[in-house]
Order: sequence, then structure tokens, then C-alpha cells
Amino acid sequence: MTSLFINDQEVEVAAGTSILEACRENGHDVPYFCYHPELSVAANCRMCLVQVEGWGKPAASCCTPVGEGMKVITESPALEKDREMMMEYLLIHHPLDCPVCDQGGSCKLQDYTVEHGASKGRYSEPKRAVVNYELGPFVNTCMTRCIHCTRCVRFADEVAGTGDIGVLNRSDHMTIAGIVEEALESELSGNLPDICPVGALLDKPSHDVSRPWEMTHHRSTCTQCPNGCDIQIESRADEVMRIQPVENSPEPWICDRGRYVYDAFRSDYRILAPKVRQDGELNSVDWDDAFAKASELLKDKRVGILLSPDWSVEGQTAIRLMRDELFPNAHVAYDLHRRDMRPFAFEEGFSMTTAQIADADQVVVLGSDLRQRLPLLMQRLRKRGLAGKPVSRIGAMNYRTNMDISSDALIRPRDWFGVIARAMEQVSVLGKTAAGFEAWIAAVPDRHEAGKILADALMADSCALLVGEEIRSHADAAALIQGLDLLMRACGHAEKENDGRNLMPEGMNTQALSATFGDVRVSAGDLFAAATAGELDALILVGSDPLGDGLFPSAAKAALEKVALVQIGAVAGQVSDYAEVQLPAAAYSEIEGSFINMEGRIRVANNPIKSLGQERPLWKVMMRMVQVMGGAVPVVNLTELRDVARQKIPALAGAWQGAEQDSVLIAPARNKGVATVPRVQNSSFTLDVVSRYSMYREGAWVRASKALTEAGRIHALGDVLVHPETLSSSGLAEGENTVTTFLGSASYNIAVRDDVSPGVLFVSKRGVAGDLSDVTEASIAGGAE
Amino acid sequence: MTISSDPKQVKQICFDNINVPGMNTLAVARENGAYAFLPTVLKDFSSSKIIDEMKTSGLRGRGGAGFPTGLKWSFVPRNTGKPIYLLCNADEGEPGTFKDRDIMRFDPHLLIEGMIMAGFALGVKDAYIYVRGEFVHEINVLNAAIKEARAANLLGENILGSGFSMNLVVHRGAGAYVCGEETALIESLEGKSGRPRFKPPFPAVEGFYGCPTVVNNVETLSTVPAILEHGGAWHAAIGIPNNTGCKIFSVSGHVNRPGNYEVPMGTSMKTLIEEYCGGLQHGTVPKVIIPGGSSTPWLTAENYNVPLTYDDIMKAGSFLGSGAIIVMDETADLVALTRRLAHFYAHESCGQCTPCREGTGWLERVITRVENGQGTNDDVTVLSEAATHMAGRTICALAEGAAAPVLSLLKHFPEDVQACLGENAA
Amino acid sequence: MSADAVRFSDERLTEIAALVKTYPGAQSALMPVLYMAQEDFGYISMEAQKMIAQVLGLRLMQVREVVTFYTMFREQPTGKYLLEVCTNAGCMLNGANELVAHMCETLGIKQGQTTADGLFTVTEVECAGACGGAPVVQVNNVYHEKVTPELMDSLITRVRDGGAA
Ligand SMILES: Cc1cc2nc3c(=O)[nH]c(=O)nc-3n(C[C@H](O)[C@H](O)[C@H](O)COP(=O)(O)O)c2cc1C
Ligand code: SF4
Ligand code: FES
Repeated sequence: MTSLFINDQEVEVAAGTSILEACRENGHDVPYFCYHPELSVAANCRMCLVQVEGWGKPAASCCTPVGEGMKVITESPALEKDREMMMEYLLIHHPLDCPVCDQGGSCKLQDYTVEHGASKGRYSEPKRAVVNYELGPFVNTCMTRCIHCTRCVRFADEVAGTGDIGVLNRSDHMTIAGIVEEALESELSGNLPDICPVGALLDKPSHDVSRPWEMTHHRSTCTQCPNGCDIQIESRADEVMRIQPVENSPEPWICDRGRYVYDAFRSDYRILAPKVRQDGELNSVDWDDAFAKASELLKDKRVGILLSPDWSVEGQTAIRLMRDELFPNAHVAYDLHRRDMRPFAFEEGFSMTTAQIADADQVVVLGSDLRQRLPLLMQRLRKRGLAGKPVSRIGAMNYRTNMDISSDALIRPRDWFGVIARAMEQVSVLGKTAAGFEAWIAAVPDRHEAGKILADALMADSCALLVGEEIRSHADAAALIQGLDLLMRACGHAEKENDGRNLMPEGMNTQALSATFGDVRVSAGDLFAAATAGELDALILVGSDPLGDGLFPSAAKAALEKVALVQIGAVAGQVSDYAEVQLPAAAYSEIEGSFINMEGRIRVANNPIKSLGQERPLWKVMMRMVQVMGGAVPVVNLTELRDVARQKIPALAGAWQGAEQDSVLIAPARNKGVATVPRVQNSSFTLDVVSRYSMYREGAWVRASKALTEAGRIHALGDVLVHPETLSSSGLAEGENTVTTFLGSASYNIAVRDDVSPGVLFVSKRGVAGDLSDVTEASIAGGAE
Repeated sequence: MTISSDPKQVKQICFDNINVPGMNTLAVARENGAYAFLPTVLKDFSSSKIIDEMKTSGLRGRGGAGFPTGLKWSFVPRNTGKPIYLLCNADEGEPGTFKDRDIMRFDPHLLIEGMIMAGFALGVKDAYIYVRGEFVHEINVLNAAIKEARAANLLGENILGSGFSMNLVVHRGAGAYVCGEETALIESLEGKSGRPRFKPPFPAVEGFYGCPTVVNNVETLSTVPAILEHGGAWHAAIGIPNNTGCKIFSVSGHVNRPGNYEVPMGTSMKTLIEEYCGGLQHGTVPKVIIPGGSSTPWLTAENYNVPLTYDDIMKAGSFLGSGAIIVMDETADLVALTRRLAHFYAHESCGQCTPCREGTGWLERVITRVENGQGTNDDVTVLSEAATHMAGRTICALAEGAAAPVLSLLKHFPEDVQACLGENAA
Repeated sequence: MSADAVRFSDERLTEIAALVKTYPGAQSALMPVLYMAQEDFGYISMEAQKMIAQVLGLRLMQVREVVTFYTMFREQPTGKYLLEVCTNAGCMLNGANELVAHMCETLGIKQGQTTADGLFTVTEVECAGACGGAPVVQVNNVYHEKVTPELMDSLITRVRDGGAA
């Protein structure tokens, strides 16, 4: 610790802290532009000058470390003159067009001009001309307003990892410029307008719609991925105008998916009124008629329930209550990406916080396109990489990460067994073993060299394993996760304070889902199979879109063609073509409710924006349904509902009683004592199929968003990809080829890329090649069918 | 050819052999004593002995800042596990400076020998000479000399069987004055734009590729062989305390014999100009003397007798800088000259610091207007304030250098400025 | 120049591979490689910059930043003879401005322009580091010191008659 005086107040800060940070920590205002707590120090704006007693010249506080006994002064006539001059220099070339600038009202330049600027600038020479540049669908540029603080450049280098923004020329010809093809190669690009302290980089979707002071703010949680970021929804006249990150949240950034999805809230895809199918068309009716129709389809029938994980905990609890009251035998599915429903040794959810993962000695990503799946976690890993800490990876594709991966291996999904067995052997030799190793190894005939990467990482004191979708959706996932669990135990990474077993979930609220539905859960595939086999009469889909998402679109289609569908949700999705009845439920922006993210962190939203149409919170829809169909209504208000939820998840009590944010974490479920060994594999197909998750396409909300659909078009890859060797070894060429699977044969346009594992058929554009999503194996033959 | 040596001095330090024909070849250099003492240094001197000798010598960096060289070397941490780099600053961009060029083209082996000794003292494996891009001839001479030295096992692996190995690479700059600033030089050598880094951390601790790095000027490094051969005390006895040794002064402008002159520190300005440089082109007393390169404040006739030392010139209100003396007689148009220098700094600002990026261009535009007879007294105030608030408020000293001519003009020759304002004066 | 033409020769690529080894990081080789490109192709086109980024494993932005920062890297072709006149302090005090004016008049172009026959480009440059020989003119980076208008005229005539500078 270092003690010093700031404006005569004695303060203590950590040694090496900058004067500016010492001032911020202790409530002394120092103006600045280029400093940003999340970025490296550039010290170029020179606005943060302070005086240090005994120093001849003012010091830039952002880059001057504190010294013992230093006497710092942040206010004096001399400093005011300096600040006034800095403002004058900065405004020399500024267009002074505040009245037409989106940044007006939240602009540092404007604020400081009022606070520190002279009344009139004295520059009378011509202003410099600057060109704007195109950064894609989310960011507008107006470079005459740029003050060259280089925050955006540092953001692109250090956070996004893209390095596509830079500084050209020098002197007062210096310009900030971007080199992009169609858009920034970043899933975090929406943060650029936020970090730009002036109006040079602006939010494109909200361009010119309203001024900051006209907005109402609502705290909420983003449910677009399991990271569940804190968001601030800004609305005007109950219309969402903008979504922004929340200050002092665990993450200072949010991703483009979570930020720009809001145009879907007002899209034509919203379900805003109860509807019933009449003469083939869905027509709006009143709630009673819709419920009457639902009742006719469902009452005393054999039903299956499929829900999406992004409902609040309260909404999910209400679904369970509805099920228990009306369909006590119904199975429930909520995961469109899990084929193997046997219990996993460690279930979905993180045992570590993202901060702990960033700090771990080793991080290993197993089979995940982390950048698309969890862009914010990826950003943390990138930062870790810049600090020289390793991140290794094994998987079916060298997914682009914008960072240097320390060890990388390409494998086919069928190789996971060999990888794990190889790792088990290596750690055994070093004296680390667990009961069950031998049986597991014995069940696997092959060894794969990539196992060395895993074993090497496991030897560290702390190792975060990030188990991704390639393993979780594997047909023999339980065995693979069992193998990983044994490895982690053997190497001491399964203890309470040092548990590195993180299974990436599909969506939000995983911990609540398994607690609420664990006993009645089935795989979505089994649910559809039962429907197709005539074992069910109807399906209730609550917010899920199995035709657009997940691994079972063909199975879902077959099922929906067979049985009646009652759809409850906020956004229509592709399944609405099949719905007999649609009941509108409120969107996540429109409810009071609780959300749990992958780390088990709880957020309670209680300041919703108003419903757009007739939609109601899901729990009310559920309770009404119980009532209409003659059940006993179990709860009548949110308090009672929460009492029920608390019985299953006691930790929620704290969050609802106002415990400090982030103090309550819910641990993911563990299944001790399962002993799943790999199944014998006999495949007649030559290739393993892996399908890509695109953050710009996956999820009904996202598909309803024009802005994200446009981004998806820009960032799309070819339809179906294979490694060049995969084709050449069978004497085939790029282009139309016949792909055979258990569903039959069809022709696909196959492209090649080096970053796909040989032996893998990579389905990168689902929907186009949607039929391949259901399969895990395929073979290719030449020529079109 | 622009070199001249002090005819009166028995032994010069950097220029002793500067006029020897063929000195750039290893054979001639050796005949004249090059590398003669090197084996002794490699065999008998320890790192700490060399640094002690350098400290005793009192040598101050000849690149401009005048920082004691031995002290700088002693700041380098030796056991970080990271390599240590030695970079020779041969950017020679300060207007008025042209001394390093003569060492490089006429006596390159002197610099190479100095670098080997410095590298040996600091435990350096890879050393670089960063030469300004225009010096193509000098780069060719240096490369040829390095090639010969390597062939003679004076560079490369296991130099002269001492167990010490060092590589030396010449790197060509590309037209950026600011790259003479040591941290900009490092950025440039890393293949980036030459934008100075803020300090701390200092290069000695975190420099080239984040490793401990020493940056020294050509003249500084070329002084090392003499100091080690004759001893730090010998060097300290030349000149005056705290301003020891000889210094090369590049004299240009309105003198009859412009050129480089190596003289003992403490020689008076007047002696240098009149006895060495053949006096002024017009008149007898200079109107302006810029003593240390265009970035240093101006001296006037009043200081004509100032002794050429860091301390005396500082007392007179300026800096010795790189020893580049620009002399102006009564015929000089000072407003035009200031405008030209303002243009230089506006062109060379790296652009990162607000006051420098915006201030240099602003100064240039306003002084141009003044020169063209369109200035007002308000413009004079602007010049003064804009220049004052640039100086000392930026990452590197370029902004201070840009302010110096403007502030000097306003301070010493307000009447020259007023004469330009003409009818707009009010 | 077609995009295909902007390729380094195999010898160059070998030279670059060796050059990269003399630095702790490949990016350090960027400036020397840009000089090679300028020598081989006359100037550094956008195609050349992309090619260089690929050769050194850099992002195009990293190359662009450097090309645009340094004045000696040229993105446009110049005349066969680049006449760079220093007009900074030392040279200015010894007649550099008059010299530039004279050269421009002789050649019939303005400062910064190239003659119609593509032979000469005249530019003013910053201090060349040879103030003792003021005024200084660099002709394709060869220094000419104490240059007079007559000396320049005879050089121009010589070159126009097909001689060497
Ligand atoms: C704008 C600027 C330009 C400089 N140019 C040079 C230069 O061309 N040559 C040089 O040796 N030092 C130059 N310096 C000084 C260097 O930063 C540094 O002090 C010097 O290289 C250290 O070497 P020395 O200790 O041997 O003098 C410059 C400094 C500044 C601020
Ligand atoms: S003072 Fe000027 S040249 Fe120096 S770092 Fe700042 S902007 Fe660059
Ligand atoms: S905040 Fe310190 S210089 Fe910008």
C-alpha cells in the first residue's frame, strides 16, 4: 500500500495505482477522455493533468503511479487554465454540431466544455476534413467528431481481438480508421459506441431515434445466452429504443446478440394476442375462446411439454405447477441439444465464476465455438491470453477466436474416447488415478494424441475445463462426461474450492431447470418420437422452436405433423405454422422475474416495460389454463409462486430477500456414483456430423430480429464444410455431392476449409442444410443425386 | 566534405581518426588502433568495472537529454530471465544536427567497437543501430563494416574467443523525426508507428519487446572505447566537472565554415564560432544562436560568450541538447524561420497527444498568417498561450521543442513580430 | 499493375525469411520489407500491403499504420528521379527556398509534382541531417551538398540528355 495526499486528504491505495485511479477511488473528480478502466492506458488526451507538489510541470494522472507521501492537487487556477486549453485544442477541428448529434446529452466533450471550456474558441483557420468509414450494421461513424483518444483502437485490439481499427497517418492528419470487409469481425462491436466518449462512433440501429434524456431505464437480464448479462433497457413511450450494459456489473460489455435483438420485440413475429386456427389461418380471438380451444385439444389427453430455458424461474415453476395439476404423467423436455438423457457425472452449469476461469492456471475448451456461444467468456479468455496465460482447445473445428490458442487439436466427435483414454493413461503414469479409470480405459480401443493436451493441462494446480456442445450433444455424452469427471477427480480438480468441471449449458436457468424438472425430464428427441409413434395426442410448446433450433428438426416436424400443437410464447418461430392455438406470454423485458446464469448467479428484475399487446406473464397464463381446464389453482400471486420455487431451490430465498448481488450462487448438479463406460461403436458411416451454432441465427428471438439477421448474412460461412483431405481422399471435389445419412440421401453443396477436422462434416448453415441437424454420422459420395 | 577537426587539440575522442582516408575499412581502422584494446576489455574487465569506469568518466548522453551514461547502464536489471537489448540511436533528426553521420560514414568501426564494449558490459546478445532512412550511404558503410567485423570474429559467436557473443543489425528508419525519441525508436524497431510510450516504465526496465533495453546515441557509444582504454578518470579530467569530455558541435547557419567540431566541453561559444567556424557571414555578433538543435530555446548576442557546457547553457536559459548550433546573423528573417520550424513540428508530431497534435498545426497556421501580414495582437496571444500549454504536458519532449522557437521569438524579438502585423496590429 | 504482379520473387522471400530471424519478432521486419516492396514495385500499392501482411503474418491494419506514418514509404508512384530539397533551418538560411523555386521553374512544376515525362519529382523535405553542407538536395537518397541553382540545372540537363544523375 502507498499513502499519499489528494487535495490534503490522506488516502491509501495499492502500490502502483495511477494517480487517476487513486483519485477515482477516493471521490476526487479528474476529467479524462482516453482513460478507460477496462483498457490499457494510452495517456494521449492529456485532459487528466494534476499537480504534484514539487514537480515543475503538471502530470498526466492516468499514467503516473502514486508515490509514498506524494501531494496531489486536482483543482487550481493553473489546472483550470490547462484544462481550458486542452478543450480548446480538442475543439479546433470539432464540428460543434451537438444539436444534431446522437451523443448529445451523454457526451464527455460536451460536459467538459461546459465545465472546463472557455466561452469561445479562438481557432479561425480551416477545419480538417475527415472521411467516415463503414463498420457494418451496428456502428455508424462520424469522424469529424473524433478526438483521437484511441479507446476504440484499444478495444478492437484488447477486447475484441480483431485489430481491425487502427491509427493512420500522423500529426494532425492522424485519423482513426477501420479496415473491414463488410463489418467488424467482432461479436462485441456494439460496445464501440459506448466507449467512444464523443459522437464519432454511434449506435447504428438506434441512430437518430431519440435523445438520451428522453429515455426511461429498466434493469433486466439478457436471456440470449447462458451468460445472462445485466442489461439496461432504455425505452421511450414503452418502446425499447436501446439495450446497454449496466455499470459495475460483472462484465462491462454486452454482446451484439443481446444488444440488438430488441427490434424483434416489435416485429411481426411477436405473439401479441390469443389466436386460434380457423380454416387454416391463425386468427385473433379473445382469451376465453383461445382457452376453450386449448382445453378441447388438451383436456384428458396424453400430452408432452417442451419449454425453452429462457423463461424466468417463476415462469418455469408455473409450468411445473400446471403440469402437475393437469397432466401429471406428462414428460417435459427443455433442451434441444442433448441426445443422451442418462445422468451426467456433472450436469450443465459452471462450478466456477467467469472471473475464476480467467484466473485459472490452465483453461481447456473442449468442443465449443466459444466465441459464438459465450462471447463474453471468450473475451475474458482473450484478455487472459494477452496476459500470457494459456488456453488450449480440442474440437472438431478451429473456431475463430481472435486470440492465440496455446495448444489446439482437431478431432472427430468419435475420437473423444481415444482422447480421454490417452489422457487417463498419461496422468496415471504420473501417479494420478481414480477408481473407474481402468474400466473406462478398457472400453476404448483407440488412443488419440490430442489427449496429451488435456493431460498436460490437468497437471496444473488449477484447471478450468469448459465442456462444450460437441460433447454435450454426443450420443454417448454420459460416458464422455464420466471419463472427464474421473480425470478431474484424479488430478484434484473436483474438490469443493477447486472444482474445474464446467459443462456449458444450452440456455439460461439451467440449475433451476434441473431442480424443477429433473424427475420428469426427457430428451426432446424422445418426446417427438413418442408423438410420432402415436403415444401422445398433443404437444404443448412453451417458447421453444424445435424446427428452427436444436438437433431434432426432422423429428419435430414428423411429430408436429402427427399431433395437435398448443403454442405459448412471446415470439412465433417456425413452429407456429403448426399451432392450433397460440397464447401470448410476455417477453423477458416485460416481466418481473428471476434469472439464473450459467455461473449460478441470480438476478431479479422488477421494473419491466409495459406489455405491447395482450400478453401476460407466463405464470398468469399457466394459472389461467389450470383454472379453465378445471384444475385447482395452486398459486394466486408472485409471492406464493416464489414460495413453491424456494422449496426446490432454497438459495433463491436470499436473492428475493435482497441479499447482496452476486453473493448467492447456485451450484450445478452432480451425480455421484454413476459409472457410465463408453458403448461399443460400430458405424457404417465414414464422417461425423457437427453443426454450427451461429449467434446470429439460433433462437426464435434472433431470427425475428432484422438487425441480427443482417449480421448473420455477413458472418455466414459456406453451407456444409469439410477438410480438403476428406474430399480428396475419396477422390471428390468441392461443389454438389451426395450425402447419405440414416435419413436417406440428398445433395448438398460442399465447400472445403482447413480449419475443419478431417473426417467431419461441418454443417455451418443450419436451415439451409437443416436436415442434417438430426444426424450424427454421414457419408459423402460424388456428384449430385 | 564537411568535417573539420580541432587543429589545436592533441587527442580528440570521436574524431581522432576522422580524416584518415579509408578509415571505414577494417584494415585501416586497425592500423589506427581500432579494436586494439577490445581483447583486454573482453578478457580483463568485468561488467561492473566497465559501468564504474563509465560513471567515473562523467560521460553524459550526447543524444540530447544529457543523461549520465554509466548511471543509465546501471539501471538495467540483470536477472529477469529476459534478454537485454542495446539500441544505438542514429536517427539524427534534430534540425541542425549532423555529427553522427560523420562518425558512421568515416569511422564506423569506432561505433561498432563502442557497441561491442557496451554490449559486453550489459550482457547483450542482440544489438541494433537505428539509422534514419535518408542515410543510405551511411547504412551501406555500416553494413560493410559490420560484415568485415563479423568475418574477423569481432562480432557474432564467441567474440575473439572470449565466450561473449553479440549480433549487430542495422535498421533503417523511414522519415520520422520523432523516432529519435528513444521509446518511439523502440516502437519503430518493433515494426510499428513511431509513437513514444509514456514513462514509467523506462526502457532500461521494459523496452524493446518488453525487455530491458539501453538506447544510446552514436556519439555516446563512440566515446566508450576511449574511456575504457584511458580510464574514466582521464575522461573526467577533460572539460569541467559535471560536463566532462569533448563534444562534437554541428555548427550551421550563417557561419563561414559550417561543420562538425569536436572540442573540449567548456570552450566558449564565441571561440567556436569565430576561431573554428570562421565567424559570421554578415556582421560581427550573431542575432540568434540556437545552441542545441531547433528544439532548444534561442540565445542572443548577450550569451555569445557562454561556455559550451550543459550547465552554463542551461543557466543561460536553453539546453546543450545534441550540440547542434544554428547561428543567425542580422540578415535572418526570424518570423519566417519560426514559421518554417513550426511547419517542421506540425509535420513531425506523432499525433497522439492532444496539445501536440492540435497545437503544432495551430501554431503553424497562425504564424503563417502573421508572416503574411494578416496577424493581429490576439494572434500573438494565441501563439503564446497555445505554445505555453503544449510544453511539458505531453508524453515526449517534441511538443516542448515545438513551443521553443515560438516562445523564443515572442520573448526576444517582439518587435520583429509587431513589424509583420502591420496595419492589423490592433 | 495487375494484382498478380505484386508478388515478391522467391529470392526476396528467402531474404525476408532470413531477415525475420534477425529480430525478436516478425513485425520488426515490416519496415525493411516495405523498402523491398518499394524497390521492387516502385511504390507500395494496397495490393502490395495485403501481400506483405500475408508474408509476415500481420493484419493489414498493422501494415497500413506503418505505411501511412512514415514519409519515406510511398503509396503513389513518383518520377524516376526524386529531388528532395531540405528547406529546414540550416538550409533555409543558406538559400534553400530560392533553390526550390528555381528548380520548380526550370522543371515547370510545383513542389510535390512530377514532370510530364515522368523523370522528376520535386519535394521539400525536413532536415536531412547534413546542415553543414546546406543547402542539401537528395537525389534518390544520394546527398548533394552546397547545391547551387547552376548545379541543379546541369544535373537536370544531364538526365534529360539520357545521362545519369
Ligand atoms: C523528439 C525527440 C527527438 C530525439 N531525436 C534524437 C535523435 O535523433 N538522436 C538521438 O541520439 N537522440 C534523440 N533524442 C533523445 C533520445 O530520446 C534519447 O535521450 C537518447 O537517444 C539517449 O541517448 P544518450 O543517452 O546516449 O544521449 C530525441 C528526443 C526527442 C524527445
Ligand atoms: S508530444 Fe507530440 S510527438 Fe511526442 S508523443 Fe506526444 S504527440 Fe507524439
Ligand atoms: S486520461 Fe490521462 S491522458 Fe487521457
